[in-house]
Amino acid sequence: MTTDDMLLEVRGLKKHFPIRSGFLRRVTGTVKAVDGIDFHIKKGETLGLVGESGCGKSTAGRALLRLHEPTAGEIIFNDPTLGKVDVAKLDRTTMLKLRPNMQIIFQDPFTSLNPRLTVGQIVGEPLEIQHRASGSELIDRVAELLNEVGIRPENMSRYPHAFSGGQRQRIGIARALALNPKLIVCDEPVSALDVSIQAQVLNLLGELQAKYGLAYLFVGHDLSVIEHISDRVAVMYVGYIVEMAKTDKLYFTPKHPYTEALLNAIPKADPRMRTRPIRLQGEVPSPANPPSGCYFHPRCRYAKDICKQERPPLQDIGDEHFVACHFAKELSLVGVQPLNDIKLEMPVKKS
Amino acid sequence: MTNQSTTTTTDDVVRVEDLKVNFYTQLGVVRALNGVSFNIPRGKVLGIVGESGCGKSITGMSIMQLVASAGKTEGGKILFNESAGGNQVNILDYERNSPEMRKIRGNNISMIFQEPMSSLNPCYTISDQIEEAIRLHQTNDNVESRKRAIDVLTKVGMPNPDRIADSFPHELSGGMRQRAMIAMALSCTPTLLIADEPTTALDVTTEASILDLMRELQSEIGTSIMFITHNMGVVAQMCDEVAVMYLGRVVERATVDDIFYEPRHPYTIALLQSIPRLGRTKGRLASIEGSVPDPYSRVSGCPFHPRCPVAIKGVCDTILPEETIVDAAKGHTVRCHLYS
Ligand SMILES: Nc1ncnc2c1ncn2[C@@H]1O[C@H](COP(=O)(O)OP(=O)(O)OP(=O)(O)O)[C@@H](O)[C@H]1O
Ligand SMILES: Nc1ncnc2c1ncn2[C@@H]1O[C@H](COP(=O)(O)OP(=O)(O)O)[C@@H](O)[C@H]1O
Ligand code: SF4
Ligand code: SF4
Ligand SMILES: [Mg+2]
Ligand SMILES: [Mg+2]
Repeated sequence: MTTDDMLLEVRGLKKHFPIRSGFLRRVTGTVKAVDGIDFHIKKGETLGLVGESGCGKSTAGRALLRLHEPTAGEIIFNDPTLGKVDVAKLDRTTMLKLRPNMQIIFQDPFTSLNPRLTVGQIVGEPLEIQHRASGSELIDRVAELLNEVGIRPENMSRYPHAFSGGQRQRIGIARALALNPKLIVCDEPVSALDVSIQAQVLNLLGELQAKYGLAYLFVGHDLSVIEHISDRVAVMYVGYIVEMAKTDKLYFTPKHPYTEALLNAIPKADPRMRTRPIRLQGEVPSPANPPSGCYFHPRCRYAKDICKQERPPLQDIGDEHFVACHFAKELSLVGVQPLNDIKLEMPVKKS
Repeated sequence: MTNQSTTTTTDDVVRVEDLKVNFYTQLGVVRALNGVSFNIPRGKVLGIVGESGCGKSITGMSIMQLVASAGKTEGGKILFNESAGGNQVNILDYERNSPEMRKIRGNNISMIFQEPMSSLNPCYTISDQIEEAIRLHQTNDNVESRKRAIDVLTKVGMPNPDRIADSFPHELSGGMRQRAMIAMALSCTPTLLIADEPTTALDVTTEASILDLMRELQSEIGTSIMFITHNMGVVAQMCDEVAVMYLGRVVERATVDDIFYEPRHPYTIALLQSIPRLGRTKGRLASIEGSVPDPYSRVSGCPFHPRCPVAIKGVCDTILPEETIVDAAKGHTVRCHLYS
């Protein structure tokens, strides 16, 4: 691995939100939504980001693009023209230059597109803002982008409400592609879609990645989808990355007790592989009031005294496998079993 | 092979026969259920699976007679049999607000929903709501009903059932609300529990523990369950038998093992091919072309024909396939011309 492969390096990223209450809206606490995370993404690869609702996945994704102002940390982006820059410290004008390289698509295809703009305007807007194209050139480029995502360009003058969920998600992808980005943050882009449409969109994302060398930060909660699409996966728990590794490593030989519990809970699409869940004690703690030491300790069945006192740092245990657990090297945890390989073929008419 | 509408002679809690429900809206008629038939064997978990809009929820609501008033039931039967060998009644013979229907709803058949807040009353404590159900159908004694409410909260694995009993719904997390809903639904030990996507809004670890809980209670109490979901993983983990729906019809009905290992209907096969399989699929997924037609349109012939990769020209686009038995012993049926 040469450092030139590196597209994004994030160090110590934090995003805290103030909690305000009372008539004077005084700050009475902080939600530590993202609380010091480190990760990197190489050119053209997909890093999956998983974890339970509220663990800070979306906040992390948005902070990367400065849609949320980071509270602390470095976001080193390897820009093709500007070289390595810290996105967290950029002024507005430099940020505007860098923006085309980092895009985002959202979960909800029903609210993420402006209902008052036509599809052509939605997809063309970033090109206009960046003064990349106008007039007939703009229309040609928009048509090309729509073709790319499988929407007929004749539909350019229609409004988002005339499209299905899957089609709206394609329109969102076309818009994100408009400025030839290097990185797209995909925040649960298929979670709201039916399975047959989900497969179409996942395939599309795969094709575009191969064609344009795109890198994705793919946020999701469906662990089967994440496994399918990711080269590497990071697991978050209460604002913190607890484990990150190559996909197969993470799924087959997890090293963090929380990852083990998460993998065990996947509803496996195979009735001959039924599992009893590992029952976790209690609930996911609130990021406004996390426990001491390792945030997972109140629920961890391997916890010892040290876990209550010291927060384990995210450490490299070799071969790009990072774990934040005091006992990462000692514990032998259970990963997933591959599902049975069932041959499914379309039937033919017997006559 | 012969064509036949419903198959088995087993002891069924519910047999739905050729159920038709239409919604009359300003934009036109939505044919939500186009002749749905299936049976729920006593003591089993039947999964109802399909993509959004295929009619899963309306099927469940029909059994409870809770379909919104714009929805008209225009044919079919819902035969309910409270106990083996007992008296069989057609639920559709009762007025939706008749005393008979109110007794069935809640006492014999309970329902839990995806969003527990929509069925828990925010103004009353959890215990108030469970006790109300118990007093309505079982006992008038306040001390006894309180005791039963705590019992059932304990049974669904609530930590601290006494404290939870006196909490309001908004004070609980999503997983705890869903447990409270299940407690309420089970407080009258119903013959049939209809669960409409009960875990779809939950995180995987919470989902897994709720599914585990439901399976445990099911084997303990013997309640039959109609489990509505769009998640094939949940079907595999939870159900004994499965009915796959497409556009308001059951297109395949089989044991859960057959659905995954011997699926016959092209839609079932395509659905299974389009989900990523843990530890297996890399690269492209086999996806189904196009999307589910909008609910106001009517598709001629087999409703799946515009998307079916093996459709037979001149047949599938004009003639509606009948339900055909492909394995009588296992009660495996399919609606597809390839098997007729
Ligand atoms: N604007 C905000 N103000 C205050 N708190 C916020 C804000 N945005 C997010 N949070 C809190 O930060 C935490 C992380 O939220 P985030 O949306 O990143 O979670 P997530 O992992 O994306 O969850 P989900 O899977 O539900 O999308 C949550 O506790 C959330 O309530
Ligand atoms: N109140 C209603 N008015 C009009 N159409 C409805 C109404 N409720 C449901 N439908 C329609 O009936 C069909 C089946 O709906 P539903 O049973 O809720 O689907 P599912 O639960 O499988 O997602 C859909 O086409 C839906 O749009
Ligand atoms: S550090 Fe301790 S509590 Fe945390 S995951 Fe490891 S063993 Fe469990
Ligand atoms: S009847 Fe024809 S169109 Fe319908 S599923 Fe069978 S082969 Fe496909
Ligand atoms: Mg989110
Ligand atoms: Mg529904």
